[in-house]
Amino acid sequence: MLRDITLGQYYQTESVIHRLDPRVKLGGTLLFIISLFLFDHFAGYVVAVAFLGIVIRLSHVPFRFMVKGMKAIVFLLILTVTFNLFLTPGRELVSFWKLTITWEGLALAITMAVRLTILIIGSSVMTLTTTPNNLTDGMEKMLKPLKLFRIPVHEVAMMMSIALRFIPILLEETDKIMKAQLARGADFESGNIFKRAKAMVPLLVPLFVSAFHRANDLALAMESRCYRGGEGRTKMKPLVYQKRDGLAYLCIVLYLALSITAGRLVWMWI
Amino acid sequence: MGIVKASDVVYEYIRRDDEGNVEGITTAVDKVSLDIRQGEFIAILGHNGSGKSTLAKHINAILTPTEGTVWVDGMDTSEEDKLWNVRQTAGMVFQNPDNQIIGQVVEEDVGFGPENMGIPTKEIWERVEESLRAVGMYEFRKYSPNKLSGGQKQRVSIAGVLAMHPKCIVLDEPTAMLDPSGRKEVIRAVRGLNQVEGVTVILITHYMEEIIHADRVFVMDRGRIAMEGTPRQIFSQVEKLKELRLDVPQVTLLAYELKKRGVALPDGILTAEELADALSAYY
Repeated sequence: MLRDITLGQYYQTESVIHRLDPRVKLGGTLLFIISLFLFDHFAGYVVAVAFLGIVIRLSHVPFRFMVKGMKAIVFLLILTVTFNLFLTPGRELVSFWKLTITWEGLALAITMAVRLTILIIGSSVMTLTTTPNNLTDGMEKMLKPLKLFRIPVHEVAMMMSIALRFIPILLEETDKIMKAQLARGADFESGNIFKRAKAMVPLLVPLFVSAFHRANDLALAMESRCYRGGEGRTKMKPLVYQKRDGLAYLCIVLYLALSITAGRLVWMWI
Repeated sequence: MGIVKASDVVYEYIRRDDEGNVEGITTAVDKVSLDIRQGEFIAILGHNGSGKSTLAKHINAILTPTEGTVWVDGMDTSEEDKLWNVRQTAGMVFQNPDNQIIGQVVEEDVGFGPENMGIPTKEIWERVEESLRAVGMYEFRKYSPNKLSGGQKQRVSIAGVLAMHPKCIVLDEPTAMLDPSGRKEVIRAVRGLNQVEGVTVILITHYMEEIIHADRVFVMDRGRIAMEGTPRQIFSQVEKLKELRLDVPQVTLLAYELKKRGVALPDGILTAEELADALSAYY
């Protein structure tokens, strides 16, 4: 049923990671991603994978959900690996026809593949453990300083949460219109891509019209409930840092220090 | 002066062509005056295009009159600086429940109004709880609105308005998109608000059954108030109601037809019980 559609890819369960403040998760993910590009020694990756592994373990989200996110970037991954493999100049490893694989290319391809994989899984952990609502709340609060530069942070956050609220409603509506058009002999399935794109017109036009109607109604309803932007608004569920959020920040900083110095530490051991 | 007072209100929709020239003027509300007292249950009845929704939007200051004045709790609705006070005093519930729920969780939606008013967090929670209890939706506070029935969604909308502690609630055809059981649910909740919480209710509808419990009824036609009185007074004028293209409830219609055929029944019978009593008294 369309009603039960899960938004984003939030995985409902109880864990420390779920309970963390969305700001911690957003900031942590960002730092984690940046860290992946800061070190160039394999030891750094070992630390990153270990850290990610611990977080996944704590989140109680089954690993296969993390891998799901990978599907979207398989193509990108193959592309990156191929290009790096063949187009990096350096010492020759194998050569056939006009293509040459170099040692440097191989090393670069592997690094890039590992980096991308960790990056995607790392950000999946955030989206899987944070509700979209919480995420927009966190973003709004984190980006508040941007108000100084006249960026309408509150408005953007409000727009995002309204969009999330209306996705299932519009999906249901699409379904209804589709059935209505099918009943009148519309054909959405056959023909080449252009024919099919053209067949979408009688679906999209009524959908857009109804979306505008809804937007107008919603604006009226919001105004009649005294909505006048973010000024002077209080929060029913304000974001307040807990002790565990401080600890989480500390863990992230520790991880950052460890991953960057890991290469040098290994060097010293040897 | 009552909680809502309108004097000689006129509202004109101006239609323009592509160049912005005036093509025509439609007078949606035409010299309407009314005075509603605190705690009353008012029903405004009328067929499509009679101007009842336009009139309702004036009470919430979504529209301001072209001519005349509307006062809500003594505040002139066309005064810009009173706008938010007016909207807080007279809350509004609309027809389509999907298009007026903002939150993704029931309790968050009910909290939306108080949040806008700048109420402290702790009090918001108290208001949300008491409002949801008042409409009987407290058990559903953690639900997504998408999982509720139409009647339940509309009750959430009512709770959302109630949480702003209005003195008056305007409901603009709240049951038009609901099935019969959803309609009953909503009307029961609205009556509860009026009787238990003492909120002034202005119910706009074209379902005759819903106005039976009203203290006073206004019937609108072509922008004017065509009839005014208690439900009994209104329903005793079956001919006039038919003229205004309104459906009379089946029971009232049956009593009316019987009376026409010579059965001596009182005027304006509203419920099946009343008709049964009147008939058994007769024989």
